Amino acid sequence: MDVLLNEEEQMLKNLAREFLEKECPPEMARAMEADDLGYPPALWKKLADLGWLGLALPEAYGGQGLPLAYLGLIFEELGRAIAPVPFHSTMMAALTIAKDGSEQQKKEVLPAVARGDMVLTWALLETDPRLLPETVHAQATPQGNGYVISGTKMFVDNFNAAQKFLVACRTAPVSGDKSPVTPLYERGGLSSPPLQRGVGGISAQGSEAGLSLFLVDTNLPGISHTPLGTMVKDKQSRVTFDRVAVPASSLVGRLHQGWPVIEGMLDRGTILLCAQMLGATRKDAEMGIDYAKNRVAFGRPIGAFQSIQHLCADMIVWVDGVQLLTYEALWRMDQGLPASIEISQAKAFANDKCEAVVRSSQVIHGGIGFMAEFNLNLWFRRVSSWTMRMGTSFEHRARIARALLDQPGRVRLGESMYDLAPSG
Amino acid sequence: MDFGFTPRQEALKQEVRQFIAENVSPEVLAEAAKGWEEGRGPRTRELLKKIADRGWVGISWPKEYGGQGGSRIDQYLVEEEFARVGIGVGGAGSGAPAILAAGTEEQKQYFLPRIIRGEIVFGLGFTEPQAGADLASLQCRAVRDGDEYVVNGQKMFTSSAHFATHLYLMARTDPEAPKHKGISIFLIPMDTPGITVRPLWTIQSNPTAPLGTTYGQARTNEVFLEDVHVPASCILGEENMGWYVGAMGLNLDRVGASRYLLSVSRDEDIINWVKENDFQGFTPAQDPAVRDRLAELWIEAQVCRLMTLRSMSLVEHGGKFTYEGSAEKVFSPEHGVRTTETITQVLGPYAQLMNGSPEAIEDGIFAHNVLGAFQSGINHGSVQVMRDQVARRGLGMPRS
Ligand SMILES: Cc1cc2nc3c(=O)[nH]c(=O)nc-3n(C[C@H](O)[C@H](O)[C@H](O)COP(=O)(O)OP(=O)(O)OC[C@H]3O[C@@H](n4cnc5c(N)ncnc54)[C@H](O)[C@@H]3O)c2cc1C
Ligand SMILES: Cc1cc2nc3c(=O)[nH]c(=O)nc-3n(C[C@H](O)[C@H](O)[C@H](O)COP(=O)(O)OP(=O)(O)OC[C@H]3O[C@@H](n4cnc5c(N)ncnc54)[C@H](O)[C@@H]3O)c2cc1C
Repeated sequence: MDVLLNEEEQMLKNLAREFLEKECPPEMARAMEADDLGYPPALWKKLADLGWLGLALPEAYGGQGLPLAYLGLIFEELGRAIAPVPFHSTMMAALTIAKDGSEQQKKEVLPAVARGDMVLTWALLETDPRLLPETVHAQATPQGNGYVISGTKMFVDNFNAAQKFLVACRTAPVSGDKSPVTPLYERGGLSSPPLQRGVGGISAQGSEAGLSLFLVDTNLPGISHTPLGTMVKDKQSRVTFDRVAVPASSLVGRLHQGWPVIEGMLDRGTILLCAQMLGATRKDAEMGIDYAKNRVAFGRPIGAFQSIQHLCADMIVWVDGVQLLTYEALWRMDQGLPASIEISQAKAFANDKCEAVVRSSQVIHGGIGFMAEFNLNLWFRRVSSWTMRMGTSFEHRARIARALLDQPGRVRLGESMYDLAPSG
Repeated sequence: MDFGFTPRQEALKQEVRQFIAENVSPEVLAEAAKGWEEGRGPRTRELLKKIADRGWVGISWPKEYGGQGGSRIDQYLVEEEFARVGIGVGGAGSGAPAILAAGTEEQKQYFLPRIIRGEIVFGLGFTEPQAGADLASLQCRAVRDGDEYVVNGQKMFTSSAHFATHLYLMARTDPEAPKHKGISIFLIPMDTPGITVRPLWTIQSNPTAPLGTTYGQARTNEVFLEDVHVPASCILGEENMGWYVGAMGLNLDRVGASRYLLSVSRDEDIINWVKENDFQGFTPAQDPAVRDRLAELWIEAQVCRLMTLRSMSLVEHGGKFTYEGSAEKVFSPEHGVRTTETITQVLGPYAQLMNGSPEAIEDGIFAHNVLGAFQSGINHGSVQVMRDQVARRGLGMPRS
């Protein structure tokens, strides 16, 4: 047990920071907000040359096979630099293909990603913004030697930049007695009725969800997209599928068994986003603290006032909390241990605390932080929007509550919550 | 990063659990629950001796002083198991870390083995009526007189003084120096003439709190020192360096299993309670608001755990704390209060029932916790002062 970074991890982080400080100033994030593509291809290519794009991909497909925690450290630094690159959506899809894709899919996608020649994304959410199997209605119907996809996906990251994406579709109706109308008490993800099955009782549903995942070219006939106008001015789209024909070989994993694959993708995406939020939030806090040391009011630096000092102390305590939760989840994933609870812990805490930290930093900056040309808002807007992605606090706490309360057996901090009692 | 324990450490945990199942009887626990009032009873002393014989006290202390020369993490694991049943083991608050760091060879030889065997217990004589959070403004005087010091002053909230064998005393030795630079620490036998102990009863004394309550302390004391003559060899560390010796001890005292459990035990208790109980038709475990709040508290409790592990990791790396101990001492006690106050709103009027009352839940521990939980945010560095430290030492913010 040693929760601090070891030498190698620290070195990787330092190198990433040095590179990004030099190559990715905040002006780049600002410029990309007004750019149609949304990222600078030259920087993307440099990330590939540094080996970051293949860092956690298998060696057999052009990657380096390093632990997910290392990728997490890269995400932390990318967040710190608010680097405008489609890294998160690409990694979410690429890691999923690496884990669950067919040999052909791996060959087609992974080396290209590692080289920096392919951008990826994923499409799951529809009207209902919760990351749950029953919110998926887009239909993939068998036809000839493949499938035909129809439906509409929301909040698809970097669609305009991506060559391929993973698309979650319904291939069979939801089995069991799931009514299409979510009961009132479930809305907002506050809670769900006790569950009898699933991994440690916390998985919303298993293979019975009737979903399948497809790897789809973004330029196929029948696919159209409408850019969404977000507070970060990042590139998210509403994507419509109008009878889009895809070959049978696009299926990722097994037919109707897509949910566990999707859940794994969401878990990795969630924790990597936590790492990114962590880096951005710590940087934002540091800017607030620096400002407090230098800004003079009432004859002294405002950082000499205890009310400002205590605000800053809380900011750092909370960021440290996000860091510890995030690292523990990453570590567990690298050990092959179940980590969905730890991931939800990290994201729920990050959602609440990162928002509080960047807001405090705005407060410390008084009026100037509210001005568009002052850079602080670049971090503020991003961290805020990331709290809204990959699961709200309510959704993640609902998952934790299920683990805590809906399985028999006593809980104890520091002990596994996945096997309080045998599931089944 | 490594968040796991080794197979050997996992086995150690199991071994301690086994020992507890076999040796910590309800009778011992009943006696230990009266510890704050009456000091250690015969059953408790016997148990502590058995624990020491297993080599589980002072695991990280050097062998030549009766320790095991082992890791601080092992010690933490053992402390946690015992703290969970309400038995304090392992030297938190013992003064031992400071003696190890600053004591003379003679002091180490004398005190450490006896602390391990439970023969020496310190009362912590820091606080005074006019010096609490601002401890460095203390006024208790120690004047050098040949081979002796003569001590005069008053100490406040000296918790174990009525059963301690020694006083771990902070006193002013140079009234002319800046306030942090004129303080020394003395290790003084309680039976030295001139020392008077008077009880102070807390709001947790009637009835006495069940074991494991935060804070749970029924009694503390005032200590009066009148012309107390002690040999000069009682001084710990150099004269006028006491502030730094004391701060070192406090930092090490602040972190560890018992501190952490003070803040998180009620999280486990309430979750386990709502899982197994309901109020004939009202099942808190199925109430959406309760579920969301308990999950939120659970996450915070994990942060408390991880901050403790971070402190342990820092100790293993040589103990260079800048602000991390203080950060933990801000987050954890305040978390404990949030949990306690949430529980009152989960259980409603049942949360007011004390032990001994009909219908009391979990022997009144939740009610007692309301009375005491906030105390852990005051003792050993209040949360306000700890935030100052995070900001000034950790973040380099200017003094006002
Ligand atoms: C949209 C907008 C419209 C505005 N319109 C007008 C206008 O029409 N006319 C006009 O004259 N002004 C206007 N202002 C200015 C506004 O009143 C100032 O922003 C405000 O007074 C704060 O001053 P500051 O920005 O210089 O922050 P600072 O004074 O530098 O304060 C920075 C931070 O330090 C804190 N702080 C300062 N002193 C202390 C202390 N003693 N103890 C603890 N904390 C302290 C503050 O609370 C704040 O959080 C406007 C500002 C904005 C953003
Ligand atoms: C049950 C119990 C057991 C104890 N056991 C011991 C013991 O064994 N040995 C021992 O020496 N002491 C002991 N104490 C004393 C304890 O350490 C003190 O209570 C603590 O240091 C606070 O001191 P005080 O009570 O004088 O409060 P004060 O110092 O008067 O503080 C009052 C309030 O003011 C706040 N405050 C003080 N300074 C600042 C500042 N600069 N900025 C903002 N806020 C500030 C504090 O945080 C606190 O909230 C015990 C206390 C209790 C209640």
